[in-house]
Amino acid sequence: MKYPLYRTAILSLVVMICLTSCRKESEVSDLTNPNSRICKTYTQQFEAVWNGMSQGYVFWGRDTVDWDARYEQFKPVFEEFDSRPANRPVSAAEYNSAYQGLFEGLLDHHLYGMFTVPRAQYEAFVSPGRNDYYHDMDSYTQRREELKVLRQRLDLVPNSYYAYDPEDYGSFSIPGMYCALIKLVTNKNVAYFRFTNFYLSNVHEYYPALDHGESVQEPLRKFYGPRYWEGISSEGSYANDPTVVGIIIDLRGNGGGSTADLVPFMGSLTQRSTLVGYTRVKDGYGRLDYSPWSKFEIGCPRLHLGTEKPIVVLADINSVSCAELATMLIKNLPNGTFIGERTYGAVGALLPDSEHQHDLFYSGCFGDYDYYQYGSSIYRYKETYPYYVYTSTYHMVDCNYDDIEGVGVQPDIEVKFNGSALRAINGKDVQLNRAVDYLRKVCIWDQNK
Amino acid sequence: MMAQEVEVPTQLEEPAVEQNWHWSVGVTGGLDRNYHIIDMSYMSDFRYTKFAEGSSYGLQLGFTPVNWLTLRVDGVMLQKNYIRSHVVSGTATSLPDTTYNKYLNVPVVLMLNVGKTVRLHAFGGGYWGRWLESRRTGITYGMNGLESYSEEVDFNSPESQVRDNRTDIGFVWGGGLSGVIKKRIEVGVEARWYYGVKDIQNDYMAHLNPRYNTTFVVQGGLSFWF
Repeated sequence: MKYPLYRTAILSLVVMICLTSCRKESEVSDLTNPNSRICKTYTQQFEAVWNGMSQGYVFWGRDTVDWDARYEQFKPVFEEFDSRPANRPVSAAEYNSAYQGLFEGLLDHHLYGMFTVPRAQYEAFVSPGRNDYYHDMDSYTQRREELKVLRQRLDLVPNSYYAYDPEDYGSFSIPGMYCALIKLVTNKNVAYFRFTNFYLSNVHEYYPALDHGESVQEPLRKFYGPRYWEGISSEGSYANDPTVVGIIIDLRGNGGGSTADLVPFMGSLTQRSTLVGYTRVKDGYGRLDYSPWSKFEIGCPRLHLGTEKPIVVLADINSVSCAELATMLIKNLPNGTFIGERTYGAVGALLPDSEHQHDLFYSGCFGDYDYYQYGSSIYRYKETYPYYVYTSTYHMVDCNYDDIEGVGVQPDIEVKFNGSALRAINGKDVQLNRAVDYLRKVCIWDQNK
Repeated sequence: MMAQEVEVPTQLEEPAVEQNWHWSVGVTGGLDRNYHIIDMSYMSDFRYTKFAEGSSYGLQLGFTPVNWLTLRVDGVMLQKNYIRSHVVSGTATSLPDTTYNKYLNVPVVLMLNVGKTVRLHAFGGGYWGRWLESRRTGITYGMNGLESYSEEVDFNSPESQVRDNRTDIGFVWGGGLSGVIKKRIEVGVEARWYYGVKDIQNDYMAHLNPRYNTTFVVQGGLSFWF
C-alpha cells in the first residue's frame, strides 16, 4: 500500500478519459441539411428530402406516419434506381410512385413536394392531404351559377351589386370579389361580401399601376368605405350602413392568401382583437423540438364596425388556409355564426417566399428555392436532382388547443353544398339561403319578440 | 511541495482520529455551471452560451472504514440550466431562450483523504439522476410577430413522454478540502464535475442529435461524525 493515493489518482485519470468517450456521436451533419443542393443521385435526393421532413415537418407531434419505417421502406427503392443499368432507366411512373409512397398519409394539408432528375427528364409531384368529404373545387361554372342565383333569386337592393372580375377563377394576382345589399324587409338589409381569395394586399399595393385599378377597388370601397385598407369607414360603407342589420362574409371556395388581409378585412368586423388560436414552430433538429405555444390574435383596426351586428361566415370544404383563419375568427365572435360545411383543414401558416425559412424556424418549406420559383426548365442542362417541399411553418391549434389541421373548422350550422339545386332552372344556393334565413330570424324575429 | 508529498503515506498509515472508522451525515450547498452539449452542425444561427448558472443543495452520508478512504452517497437537488440564442438571419436580432432544469442527483463516490485536522480529498464515482422540473423563458416567433413566453414543461404530455429522457446517468469527479472544527463536526469545500453520459432525449427518431449535460459544482458542506 505504498503511495496508494498516486496510483489511484493516475488510475482515476485514465478511467476518466476513457469514460468521456461514452457519449454518442451526432448523426446530423451538413450532409443532412435539407437546404443542401449537392444531390447527385436518386439516393442523395431521397436522403435530403427524408431528413428535411424528419427535422422540419411541423406536425410530428400529431402525425401518425412512422417516418423511420418509411426510410427503411423507401431507401432500398431509391438505391435500386441508382443501380439500374443504362438500358433499363427509371421511368417517370416509378419515380413518381416512389415519392407518392414516401409521403402518403401525411397530415399537412398545405404540403406538396416537387422532385426532378438530371436534365429534368421528368418530375414527380406529391400532395398527400386528403379529406373524407369533398366536392369539386369552386369552378368558373359553379361561381357563375352562384352569382346568377344571388342576382336573380335573392332580393337585392337596386344598384347595390358591385364586382370585380368575379368569374376570374384561379387568378391569384388580382382576386375576383363582389358585394351587394340583400333585402330582409323594408329598410332592413344584409351586407354581403364574397372574397374569392385573400390577395387583396396586392390590390391595395398595385392598383395605381393597373389600367383597371379603379374597378378592382370598387367592391372594397362600397363595402368597407373609401379607406378600405384601414378598415370600415363610419360613413358610406355597406357594413356600417344604418339599414344594414347583419353581415354575410362568403368564403366558399376561397383558397387563402396573405394573412396581411385579415386585420383590415376581417378584424374590422370585430370590436376588439380576437384570439383565434395558438401556434408554434420548430426550434431544433428533433422531430419534437417545439417552441412554446404563442397566441394568434387578429387585431381590430381603429376603423371598425360601429356596432356588434350579427355576422355569418359562409365557408365550405374548399375554403382553405387564410379563409379558414377568417372563419375561425368570425366563429369565435359572440355575434358570429359559421354556416356551411367544415373547411379544408390546412391552417398551418407558412412563408413560401422565404428562401431561408427552414434555417430560421427549423420548420416549413425547404429545398431548392430556384426550382420552386422557376420550375424544372432551368435544370434542363444540369446533372442534379433538385427538389422542393412546400410545407407549413406553423402548427396551429384552436383556442381549446384542439388540432384543426386535416380536420377543418366545424360549422355551427351545417348546410352541405347542393350542386343540383344550384344548377336547377329555378336555381337555389341552399347555403346562402340558410344564411339569409338565419339573419332574418335573428335580426327581425328576435327584435320583434 | 515535495516534502508534503513524502508525508502522505505516513498520514494514511496513521489515522487522524482515534476511532478508526466512522459514519457521517451532513448537508451541502453551492453554485453550479451547466454546459449543454449539442452538435450545432448546420444550425449555425443558434448560439449556446458556454454555461448557465444555478444552485445545488443536498444531503450527504459517508462511511469511513479507514481514515484515508470514505464511501459517500449524496442526494443533491441540482440545477442544470442552459441559455441559447437564435440569431435572426440577416439581422442583429437575437432571440434568447433560457431553460431552467432541476435534477435530483444521487452520486456515489469513493473518496481518498489525506491529512489529520485539515484534510484533502479526491473522489470519483458515478451518479444516477432524475429530471424533476423544466421551465423555459424567452422569445419566439408567433403569427403576430415576436412573443415572449415563460412555460413549465409538462412531463406528462404525450410529446414529452416520447421525447424527454428523465433518467440521468453519468460520472462524477472532484476534490476538496475539509477541516474538523470540533470533535465530530467537519466543514469543507469541494469542486465536482458531473459528466452525463445518457442523452437527455429518448431514442425516439433516427438520426437523433444527442444532447448531454456537463455540470461543474462548487459547494460547501457541514457533516457530523458518529
